[in-house]
Amino acid sequence: MTDPVILLLVLPLGGAAAALAAKLPGIDRRPALVRALTLVTPVVLLGGAVALGFGYAAASAGRVATYTLGGWPVPVGIGLKLDGLAWLSSVLVFGLSFLISLYAVAHREYGPEFYFFFMLLVAGMEGVVLTTDVFNMFVSFEIIAISAYVLIAYHREGTALVASFKYLVLSSVGIFFFLFGVFVIYRELGTLAFADITSLYAAIEDPVRLRTLRLALVALVVGIGVRTAFIPFHTWLPEAHAYAPHPISALLSGVLIKVSFFAMVRIITVFSPGMFAHLLLWIGAVTAIVAVVWALSQRDAKKLLAYHSISQMGYVLAALGAAGGATAAITVSGGPAGAAAAADAGGTLALSAAVYHALNHALFKSLLFLSVGTAVHLTGERNLYRMPRLGRRAPLLAVLFGVGALSIAGVPGFNGYASKVAISTALAGSPAYMLLNLTAIGTAASFIKLSRVFRPGARDSEGERAPAQARERILPPGATVGMSLIALLCVTVGLAPRTALGLLQGLLAPGSGLATMSPAFAPAKLLDTAILLALGFVVYRLTQTEIGGRIAHRIEEHAPGLRTVLLFFLVGVVGFALAATVA
Amino acid sequence: MSEYLIGLIFLVGLWGVLSKPNIIKKIVGLSIMNGAIVMFFVHHGARFGSTAPIREGAETGAAAAAVMVDPLPQALMLTAIVVGICIIALGLALAVLLYRRYGTLDIRSIEAEAWSTRD
Repeated sequence: MTDPVILLLVLPLGGAAAALAAKLPGIDRRPALVRALTLVTPVVLLGGAVALGFGYAAASAGRVATYTLGGWPVPVGIGLKLDGLAWLSSVLVFGLSFLISLYAVAHREYGPEFYFFFMLLVAGMEGVVLTTDVFNMFVSFEIIAISAYVLIAYHREGTALVASFKYLVLSSVGIFFFLFGVFVIYRELGTLAFADITSLYAAIEDPVRLRTLRLALVALVVGIGVRTAFIPFHTWLPEAHAYAPHPISALLSGVLIKVSFFAMVRIITVFSPGMFAHLLLWIGAVTAIVAVVWALSQRDAKKLLAYHSISQMGYVLAALGAAGGATAAITVSGGPAGAAAAADAGGTLALSAAVYHALNHALFKSLLFLSVGTAVHLTGERNLYRMPRLGRRAPLLAVLFGVGALSIAGVPGFNGYASKVAISTALAGSPAYMLLNLTAIGTAASFIKLSRVFRPGARDSEGERAPAQARERILPPGATVGMSLIALLCVTVGLAPRTALGLLQGLLAPGSGLATMSPAFAPAKLLDTAILLALGFVVYRLTQTEIGGRIAHRIEEHAPGLRTVLLFFLVGVVGFALAATVA
Repeated sequence: MSEYLIGLIFLVGLWGVLSKPNIIKKIVGLSIMNGAIVMFFVHHGARFGSTAPIREGAETGAAAAAVMVDPLPQALMLTAIVVGICIIALGLALAVLLYRRYGTLDIRSIEAEAWSTRD
């Protein structure tokens, strides 16, 4: 009862308060003081990450840290819980937000209100990660949402405003469904705490009540699904992530959709592990391939990255689907006792592969958004065909982008490859895996396309044309440190893929035997990868032909409006509801 | 019966969000949906009785509880109402900014203009 878990919420809220204090009359006219108060943000985030580091030994030993707010026992009071999955997500939230905030702080173009909402977003994500009941999950999700809407529209550009509004409408509708699900749970079970829901749900025999509760689960999954952005709930993501300020794009794509995904894993596990497994497997595979086609057709550099976020989450979802009932390893009560439920070693591997890829994607996608964002910032141009080539002017930036691109394309030695091998082991023999292979080709092709921005080009005259920008440091030291650390993590994980996976499994399913993935650098795997990358190059050449360009242009034009987006959402709701009643 | 009526209100809100092109009306639709959810909870909370959940004197729970509302849904809904207000306020603020930027409240023309001037 006395574990200091609450610090993980108090720290970011304190940081938010510090940032807000910079708006007080008297303080807001003193730039040095304002600057100091915004610097609280990275310090606090680093502090949280370090504190979590000290908790690693306990987390990997399967110990679950708990805290109850105000001292009321759990069904009445608000409980917080830090188990293996929550520990991983918290490290992701604090660690990556810290590195991203270094980038933001170094660029000096964001005011205190930016850091206020930034920290509020972090606090909201921690709330989702630590909560032990559905209603608090709703509240935390709304804290995230409100901060995210404001941050996306921060620069008040027209496109960002529209993107933010679109996100607001769709995710609010989603969250109202979520809240309706919470109501049905309370009505049927009289409780909202995860642990009670699990035990009461398992005891239900009446088929009508069972179906009602399954529909409640559908409402919850749909509400979170909007935030996780898989098809058919993905439609808000490309604009929101593409037109947000660059650090926010990195934060949303890198951290937020992972946190939502982990929340969905938890919710499904609370009810019945393995529910929707087959549906999620196929949604994941289809999401991966469809989103990559759209990504390949984009000319807007940041939009291309945003579509890839959807596509990569497809991989993660497919692996989760393959895990089936093994998600029981992350039990509500947690600890080694629950891990015994996960006897199925293949499922445990699939679950770890899903989390592994989610974390790797967090690393390389935030690196990509920051490097491409810097390029957009430097050139003032988003269209990748019109951006001047930066390779010679900013070699370090090109290298950092290269690490991210090689990771996402799944080149051996980088972290994307590591988790893709884990996923391929988990999905071996499934027809859905063919779709993921096709996705790998598309991914390679679109990053060959995007890399033109960072190739060394002859057109260095651009620098002279904009002397003001040329004099500016391309990467301020803070941004360099932040991005280099992310790149270093990508390479480290990529070079020791099995060690990293072992660590993950120790956290997710402590006590259960480690399911091994096939050797990452086996010749057959390397050959497969080489073939996929070569095909990727062929596809890239095809998109550069006249016909390919015309097709790409047609697909790019085909961006759904808000009404279509909402219809997509309703189709998704009906689809999940059908899957739940048939199952 | 009344739960179905509340469900109908929820659907009215959803219909507003879905089919009204005016962004203010969309936000009003969201507000109606939020209100419907609040009604669901509060209505369910009053299933035993509807007096205020305050115990007077030393009387013990059982008799009093039979006529009291269930206080938990009310506590939850207080939070949900606050959250809902934040969302509505933010949505309206965005609507003001969108109107200043594009000179219309019709989401169709706003979107058409926003995405056509994108690059």
